[in-house]
Amino acid sequence: MAEVILENICKTYGNNFHAIDQLNLSVEDGEFLILVGPSGCGKSTALRMIAGLEDVTSGSLRIGGVDVVDMPPKDRDIAMVFQSYALYPHMTVFENIAFSMRLAGKPKAERRKRVDEIAKTLQLTSLLDSKPANLSGGQRQRVAMGRAMVREPAAFLMDEPLSNLDAKLRVQMRAEITSLQKQLGVTTIYVTHDQTEAMTMGDRVAVLKGGVLQQVDTPKRLYESPVNAFVAGFIGSPSMNLFEATLTGDELTSGTFGVRLQDAAFVRRPGLRSYAGRKVVFGIRPEHLYDSSLESGRKYQTIPAKVTSIEELGSEHIVHLNIDAVRVDSGDPDAVEDYGLTSNAVAKFEPDSAVRSGSEIRLALDDSKLHFFDPETHLAI
Amino acid sequence: MTPQKRSHHRLKRAVAPYLYLSPSLIIISLLMLLPMVTVIGYSFQNSAVLRRDPSFAGLKHYQAIFADPVFWASLWHTLYFTCMSVVFHMTIGMIFALMLNSDRINPTLRNILRVLYILPWLFTAVIIAVIWRLLLEPNGVVNSILMQLGIIGSKVEWFSSPETALHAVTFANIWAGYPLFMVSLLAGLQGIPKDFYEAADIDGAKAYQKLIFITIPQLMPIIISISLLDFIWTMQVFPLIWITTGGGPIYSTEVLSTYTYKLAFSSYNLSQAAASAVIILLISLGLTLFYIRYQKAR
Ligand SMILES: Nc1ncnc2c1ncn2[C@@H]1O[C@H](COP(=O)(O)OP(=O)(O)OP(=O)(O)O)[C@@H](O)[C@H]1O
Ligand SMILES: [Mg+2]
Repeated sequence: MAEVILENICKTYGNNFHAIDQLNLSVEDGEFLILVGPSGCGKSTALRMIAGLEDVTSGSLRIGGVDVVDMPPKDRDIAMVFQSYALYPHMTVFENIAFSMRLAGKPKAERRKRVDEIAKTLQLTSLLDSKPANLSGGQRQRVAMGRAMVREPAAFLMDEPLSNLDAKLRVQMRAEITSLQKQLGVTTIYVTHDQTEAMTMGDRVAVLKGGVLQQVDTPKRLYESPVNAFVAGFIGSPSMNLFEATLTGDELTSGTFGVRLQDAAFVRRPGLRSYAGRKVVFGIRPEHLYDSSLESGRKYQTIPAKVTSIEELGSEHIVHLNIDAVRVDSGDPDAVEDYGLTSNAVAKFEPDSAVRSGSEIRLALDDSKLHFFDPETHLAI
Repeated sequence: MTPQKRSHHRLKRAVAPYLYLSPSLIIISLLMLLPMVTVIGYSFQNSAVLRRDPSFAGLKHYQAIFADPVFWASLWHTLYFTCMSVVFHMTIGMIFALMLNSDRINPTLRNILRVLYILPWLFTAVIIAVIWRLLLEPNGVVNSILMQLGIIGSKVEWFSSPETALHAVTFANIWAGYPLFMVSLLAGLQGIPKDFYEAADIDGAKAYQKLIFITIPQLMPIIISISLLDFIWTMQVFPLIWITTGGGPIYSTEVLSTYTYKLAFSSYNLSQAAASAVIILLISLGLTLFYIRYQKAR
C-alpha cells in the first residue's frame, strides 16, 4: 500500500500531440481517486503513465516513495484492470487469476489457496473452471478484478472498467467495487468519463480537460464549489445551466427578467461587487429550479420561461425550457446533448408538477444556489 | 395462396440450392471424381490402358508395391521431406512473422523485410528448382562461400551425392514454402489484442513467457490448420524434386510422387503406378479428414 504522487507530469506523443500538460496530483495511501473528464482529455494516458505502459515525457512520478519513472511496469507494484478486461480466452478463470503467480513461479498449492480466497470474495468459486467466453459481462469484470487483487499490489489502476456493462449491472458493480476497495484499503486510481461514477465512487475526484487538471476535490465540494464553468457543467446530471447576464447593483439582468441577489451572495464572493455594471456568467443547477405553482417553489423569485419538452421519469420530471438569456457553453462536449435546439435550460421538477409542453410558466429559482463565473476566463468568482 | 401453390413454392425453395450448386458439382465430378475412380479401377487391372481388354488383377499390384524396397524408401523420404519442411516452414515463418510484427524494428526496414521475406513465394516451383540447382552446383555460390568460411574443405555435390541430396531438396523446399506460414501468422499476430501483452507486462511476464502463454496459444488454430494443409501439399511435391535430382542419385531422393511418375512413364507399368497413386490418395485423404474434423471441432 502506498501513496502515488505525480509532479509536473507532461506527455507528448510522437506526433507532437500534448496529451498531458503539467499534471500535479497526489493520491493518498488507501484513497480512492477518480480521474474523470470528457473523451480524449488524456485520462487513459495519465493512467498508463502511472502503470508504466506509456513513457513519461517529463516530470516525476513516485509510488510508495519510490521514483518509478524509469521502471518497467512489473517493478512498480501496481495492478491494472483494463476496459476490455484483457482476460486470456485460452485460460480458465482460475488460470487467469493465477497468471501472475504462475509467472512468479509460485508453487501450485499456494496458487490454489490464494485464488480460492479471492474467488470467495468475488463470488467466483463455482466459475473457476470456466473459460472467459462462457461468462457474463459482470462475471468477466469480477475475474478482471480478481486478477488485479491476486498480487496484493500497492495500487490499483482501473481504466473505465464498467463501460462494457449494461446500465443496471453498472450500478451494481459500482457498489461492489466501492465496497471492495474499502475492504482492501488499497490506493486506487479509477478512470471514467461517467460523472455519475465519479460522484458516487470516489473519495476524491480529479477533473481533467484537454490534458490539463481542472480541480481535485471531494465529490461534494466539486458539486458545491466548482472552480470554473467547465467543472460546473461537467459535474452533475443534467448539467448546470450557464447563462450570460449583466450585474446592475444587486440585480442580475438579462433580456426581460431580473434576479435580485441577497447580501449573502456578495459576502460569500467579495469579488462579485467589482463586476457591477459588467457582464457575468451565472449558473444554476436543474435541481435548484422549481415549478412556482408547487409548494416547494413558492418561496423563491421567479422568471418567465417557456416549456419546450418534458421527460417524465416517474421520480422526477426533466423539463426543457427556454428563458430569455444567452446560454454559455461550459466546454464539455457531452453537455450539448442535454439541450435541444429550442431550449436553453433544463430543470428538475417534482413529479406532481402539472406543467405542459408549450406552456409559458413562471420558473422559481433558489438564488442562494447561484454560481458566478468570469465571462472571459470562466473562473469562479 | 392455395395449398397447391404453396407446396409448389416449397418445392422450388427446396430445389433451388441444388440448382445453384449443380454447375460446380458437375465440374468437380467430371474433373476430379471421374479420374479418381478411373485410376482406382486401373489399379485392379492387368496392363491397364495398354490393352483394350484388361483382366482383373486383384491386389497383385498393391502386393508388388509393398514388396518393392524402393517404395518403402520413397515413403520414408516423403515423410522426412514433409515433416522437416512443415516443421521448418513453421519455425521460420514464426520467427519472421514475430520480427515483422515487432514495433522495435524501424518501420521502413520492416517494410523492406516484408517484401524480401515473401519473395520465395513469388517463384513457381520450376524457377525455384533452377535457382537452387545453380546455387548448389559444385562450382556454385554456396560451395564457394562455405569454403571461404572454412565450413567445408572441398566442393560438395549437394544434389548428386546420396548423402546430401535428400537434405538439399528438403532445404530448397523449406526455403520455397515458409512465406505461407509467415503471412498467416503475421495476420494472426496482428489480431492479438495489445492489452493481453500489457496485462502480462504488468504481471511481470518475460518475453519468452509472453510467447509461451499468450502468443502461441492465440496462434494455435492458425498453426494447426496451416500445418495440416502444408503437410498435405508437401507430401505431393513433384516438380521441385523432379527438376533438381529426378529422384536420384540411386533413389536417394525418391519420393512417392516421383516413384509413381517413374512407374507410369519410365516403366510404363500404368497399373502399378495407379496402385501407387491410390496409396498416396489414401494417405492424403486420411490427413484431409483429420483436417476437416479439426476445422469442425473448432
Ligand atoms: N499513441 C498515441 N499517439 C498519438 N496520440 C495519442 C496516442 N494515444 C492517445 N493519443 C491522443 O491523446 C489524447 C488523449 O488520449 P486518451 O486515450 O488518454 O484519452 P481518454 O481521456 O482516455 O479518452 P477516452 O475517454 O475516449 O478513453 C487523445 O486526443 C488521443 O487522440
Ligand atoms: Mg481512455
